[in-house]
Amino acid sequence: MRPLFDPFVLPFVISMTFVLLYCIIGMIRIVFQLPKEDRRKFLRSLIYPKSALKNFRDLVNDCLLHTKIWKRKPLLGYMHMSIALGWFMIIIVGHFESIAFSPLRGLEVPFMPKLMSNLYLPIFFRYFAIEDLSLKAQIFSFLMDFFLLMIISGIFIAVVKKKKPRKVGLKRVTKFGIKEDLVRLSLWTIFPLRFLAESSMANIAGGSFFTKYLGFELLFGGNYNETLSMIFWWLYSIDLAIFMTLLPFSRYMHIPAEALLILLRNAGLKTTEPRKGYALAEIYSCPSCGMCIDVCPMSEVKDNYKNTAVYFIRNIRKGKRRRDVKAMTEKCLMCGKCIEVCPLGIESLDIKIAQRNKTYYKIKSDFEYLKSQQDYKTTRPQDKAHSPETQQLSNSATQQLSNSATLYFAGCMSHLTPTITRSMKKIFEIAKENYEFLDAEGSICCGRPMMLTGKVNEAKALIDKNTELIKNSGAKRLILSCPICYKVFKEEYNLEGIEILHHTQYINELIENDKLEIDRDDKRYVYHDPCELGRAFDIYDEPRNIIDNIGLLTPGKSDKDMAVCCGGSIGSLTMTLEERDEITKNSIKDLMHNNPDEIVTACPLCLKTFARLAPVKVRDIAEIVANTIN
Amino acid sequence: MNTHKILIIGAGPAGLETAHQLKSLGLTPIIIERSDKIGGHLAQWDRLFPSSDNAEELLERLKEQVKDVEIKLNSRINHIEKEGDIFHVTLSNNKTYDVSAIVVCTGFDLFKAEKKQEYGYGIYNNVITNAELEKYFKTHQDERIDEPKRIGFVHCVGSRDVKVNNTYCSKVCCATALKQACEIKDEFPDADVYCFYMDLRMFGKGYEDLYLKAQKDFDIKCVRGRVCEVSENIEGKLVIKAEDTLLGTPMKMTLDLLVLMCGMEKAEGVERIQNMLNIKSNSDGFIESRDIFTGLNLTKERGVFVAGACTSPKTLPETLAEARSAAIEVFKYLSIEL
Amino acid sequence: MIDFGFSISKSSHIKMDDVDLKLFNKLEALNPDIKTCMACGLCTATCTAGKFTDVSFRQIILMLQRGKEKEAVEKVKKCMMCGKCMLVCSRGINTRNILLSITRIYNEQNI
Repeated sequence: MRPLFDPFVLPFVISMTFVLLYCIIGMIRIVFQLPKEDRRKFLRSLIYPKSALKNFRDLVNDCLLHTKIWKRKPLLGYMHMSIALGWFMIIIVGHFESIAFSPLRGLEVPFMPKLMSNLYLPIFFRYFAIEDLSLKAQIFSFLMDFFLLMIISGIFIAVVKKKKPRKVGLKRVTKFGIKEDLVRLSLWTIFPLRFLAESSMANIAGGSFFTKYLGFELLFGGNYNETLSMIFWWLYSIDLAIFMTLLPFSRYMHIPAEALLILLRNAGLKTTEPRKGYALAEIYSCPSCGMCIDVCPMSEVKDNYKNTAVYFIRNIRKGKRRRDVKAMTEKCLMCGKCIEVCPLGIESLDIKIAQRNKTYYKIKSDFEYLKSQQDYKTTRPQDKAHSPETQQLSNSATQQLSNSATLYFAGCMSHLTPTITRSMKKIFEIAKENYEFLDAEGSICCGRPMMLTGKVNEAKALIDKNTELIKNSGAKRLILSCPICYKVFKEEYNLEGIEILHHTQYINELIENDKLEIDRDDKRYVYHDPCELGRAFDIYDEPRNIIDNIGLLTPGKSDKDMAVCCGGSIGSLTMTLEERDEITKNSIKDLMHNNPDEIVTACPLCLKTFARLAPVKVRDIAEIVANTIN
Repeated sequence: MNTHKILIIGAGPAGLETAHQLKSLGLTPIIIERSDKIGGHLAQWDRLFPSSDNAEELLERLKEQVKDVEIKLNSRINHIEKEGDIFHVTLSNNKTYDVSAIVVCTGFDLFKAEKKQEYGYGIYNNVITNAELEKYFKTHQDERIDEPKRIGFVHCVGSRDVKVNNTYCSKVCCATALKQACEIKDEFPDADVYCFYMDLRMFGKGYEDLYLKAQKDFDIKCVRGRVCEVSENIEGKLVIKAEDTLLGTPMKMTLDLLVLMCGMEKAEGVERIQNMLNIKSNSDGFIESRDIFTGLNLTKERGVFVAGACTSPKTLPETLAEARSAAIEVFKYLSIEL
Repeated sequence: MIDFGFSISKSSHIKMDDVDLKLFNKLEALNPDIKTCMACGLCTATCTAGKFTDVSFRQIILMLQRGKEKEAVEKVKKCMMCGKCMLVCSRGINTRNILLSITRIYNEQNI
């Protein structure tokens, strides 16, 4: 029997203790930063069987198997799985192995409490073991070698990815500083060093195909050299120590943080503060993988890729000056593509909104536009054709706006695209819809643009006013033409009992119910998914079904959840027209991939933005429908 | 000298005048024109600002001057090859010409009003363009113009507007608008006529007189503000929104007829010719002159000349003057440089 | 000096000599596109809030340049941030962000 302790384990034991304490304290801190209600929700979700089961499934899928990355980039998926699952299994199997074969484990030895040996024995088991040829031992040896090989194969891909990102399907990868390089290097070398250390004495400790035959016999030529072996064991331990010590300060913090994030997310929590609680768990969970860089529309402009989500999160984590973080927050178009590809599903837009909510505005709204709504609200439909002056005269305070069951709200932007409102009127008429055009004469804003500027109270006031107006109308359905409105109506309004539809959904329903007679044409259409309909609400099939009924639908280069923002988004506060134009051109290039005859979209803002620069006609989906019905 | 042939692309005023001058200098111009008519936009126009001269009469005069010149209608250029200083030109009917110089007189296109969707052209019946109004003056046939009581003119449609990618001023629309405003007032004396302008650019001889005449004799009302939206009320009348910027108040107005003063844009298809001749565009999208002071008719390519609105928006007198100077440049080039 | 009695009523002139443009210069430095306004009035004409209130982006900018900061701020308060003005602006000015900048640079209390 070999000795049970050797000083080379110390670097590992100390660093491992540090990292465990750090993570536990960090976790407690995050949980305590949560709002009280959220904390209670979180703790409840841990014990509730259904959510606990979901937690388990998600932890396995996301932390070990990395199924999300597999789906997008299989090679990268394998890389992540092999390292994560392999490492995890080596620890688990190592524990079983040490329990099964080390009678010393758990024994009370002077200066070496049980706890400590529990920590290092599974990791350095081979150093303390003597070859055992029983079948059980051979199976363990095989498993350990198998997982070691698996990890090393993953690391091999990681090295290729670093040197040649395009080989694994990435155009750009995140750029790092020296510290991150050092951590990465220490990670990459851990397992090759383990392999060398275990192989160097496989004649004594035993091993399987990898360490014994490939390592000891082939690499070391079957010779055992004690000094050399000790050097490898020391290096292995020190390397582990470097990695563990730097882990909390590097992007690899995502390994422990991700587990917490999954639990918090499954409890149904969301970001409320930009740098505390849930947001903090998300920020630490970002592995800086850079998946969001290539897909971000801003990356098309050369130096703008530094504004992408990964850099934004890193800047928050680094505690960069608030001004820098704020500038990045305000530049973002809020198209949500980064979230769509994020392997961890980090809701960086919520962090950005929370950050915007922190902006201090010295001038507050005086809500005068709300006061004027008094007259507007009480206007009867038959008076609406007249001027505002007559509206103000007809003033019977509690009168309902309309008897119609359906309300149509075109939104501010649709007033600049008369094709949309005209087409909707025609469709309503043909479908014999008894509707009321709520904002035919204009209205107050839906509140979403205000929310995007971080003016929470002002947005809330608009939302409350509109809610009151719509509820008073007694309508059962609300049809919207603007996806910007749609998003806020769906997410922030409490319109119980009123069905909210975007006109794509409404028209699709009419077609499904044979309410519209469509004359097909032979044009080839490409559909652009507006961010606030597609990625935000997965409204992908309705518009495509409509187009299928009219002409030939051709896909763009990136479709559906990967659609490129038109560039006109009001999500960005600071982007200049020139920068927007670059994004628009890129988006159009993407749509023109299969040379369609026309571009179809379902958002007045996308429509106006594209119409400026597109080589073909750009039309709203309502317009192509209205043109083909009679 | 008269052995030299010169190809003139475009049979508008610039092309006709250049041809006439080259002919009188003893050269042999050949005009090719892609449409089936001579005269370009001038042929569509009724009267000309500032003093309401008859467009047809002017065109007849220009035509008369070139009656000995070979004019190829319905012809496009298929191919141009330069060999030394000679251009081998192949037309769409496969006919070939060897010419010593080429004068590009391709003119302009009117801005396509439907691109400015908020003005409702092609959507609302009573929104028409300046060219359509001019056609009405010529033919008096347009059912959209039916005893209008209130008429609006929108200046700068497709000009000075980054949102349609045309940031330049089209130069002629202000004067055209006031001319047309007077004429339609003449037609419908009971109508109220409003011009929505940003800056009234009345820069030439007689233009300011036109402005004064419009105010004094025709009671045209000028509102300083760009029209932002056009909608329709329940009775099917147009409702426009603009700001009266001098008063600082947004205004709404019901109209029976809205005339959009579409500006000038680079002509469609000219890029193809530019590529064949290896001449570039300027920042506004028109053809680039070698320099605007002493080389207005020259391009960076030897033997290729330009005249008229193909280089930038121009008035008719300017176009004709440029055509004459182009002829001199060509003559100079052929007699001295070659 | 002889007092003609004219000094009692306040002059209605904008006294450009006394106008302090420190804050406006700051605003302009942050948003250089503000300089390119050609006062066409599109922003005001299209304004969603302008139907109900006297908010006018064009006037706000002009007022700030003429030292009428109080009046300008009163108008800024009435904006709903919908961004329609940004969509129509024929010079491509980022009007919405300029309004946000104003609410950060100018302080209601000490102008």
